[in-house]
Amino acid sequence: MTKKQFLVVGLGTFGENVAKYLTEKGAQVIAIDKDEKKVQNIAHFVTQALTADATDEKFLKSLNPEEIDVGIVAIGESLEDSVLVTLHMKELGVKKIVVKCINQLHARISAKLGADRIVYPELEMAKRVAEGLISPNILEEIELSPEYNIVELIVPKKFIGKTIKQAKIRSEYNLNIIAIKRKVPYLTDSGESDFKEEINISPFPDDELNDGDILVVIGKDSDVERLKKE
Amino acid sequence: MNRKGMPEKKETEESLIELGKFYFINGKYDKAIEEFKKAIALNPGKSETYYNLGLVYEAKNNLEEARKMYEKAIEIDPNNKLAKEHLEKIVGL
Repeated sequence: MTKKQFLVVGLGTFGENVAKYLTEKGAQVIAIDKDEKKVQNIAHFVTQALTADATDEKFLKSLNPEEIDVGIVAIGESLEDSVLVTLHMKELGVKKIVVKCINQLHARISAKLGADRIVYPELEMAKRVAEGLISPNILEEIELSPEYNIVELIVPKKFIGKTIKQAKIRSEYNLNIIAIKRKVPYLTDSGESDFKEEINISPFPDDELNDGDILVVIGKDSDVERLKKE
Repeated sequence: MNRKGMPEKKETEESLIELGKFYFINGKYDKAIEEFKKAIALNPGKSETYYNLGLVYEAKNNLEEARKMYEKAIEIDPNNKLAKEHLEKIVGL
């Protein structure tokens, strides 16, 4: 199987890390930035690192863009440059384009130009941090639809010591526990205490809930809210 | 002396820490916290006790208290490697 080809334009924190992770995962990565220092920093990690102006269509053409599976536009400072690079990538036949946007206008323009995916790291992170501060019991939340979520939450106190069946999480809350994350205490060889994290996927109805367990549940937002209040 | 005429077993700091660890290993986190707190009252200068208490709080997902305890453990013994590792994980490093 031929390796997937990625082109990352803009090597700020986001672009640099995306390029590094993709390479680690075995992809072919070309990384570009106007700033020579940033290019040098990443040169050892990626397949090819180039100091160049990616808004120059001729230059982009020289990279055989039709061979590139995914183009990632990670230009943070200049909306104009980001838009130009997206446009060129689209016109030159890059198969899929992901654009990191700095604001909503940027996101709308990129979508109109044919970006296949818009990422908005600041906004996404802000939402997660705010959510975590408002509901400290909710550790992680994945939205499946506006109504349904997968949520990680700390086991409510009243369920500690009960089995899943006794806690009636399915019958009273319409929620399904898809996994239980548990910290299992142990003593090290030198007698120090520590714990390791274990995950019980698809737990049985007779599995007991322990203090400190984290439940991964799937269900309606309103039902999760009810459980959270317990 | 207790009722049976045996000398009261004195609660030493060591025995309290051992008992705390015993409760922790058996998942009795609230009892473990009690014992470690008693051990700290006897000797507030031992890094290991704060680390153990932090560990119980972390196991109970009380990360705020866990963090305070790990910080205290490191303040007393800057070479407490386990406390450092757990603190870094909590902060998100």
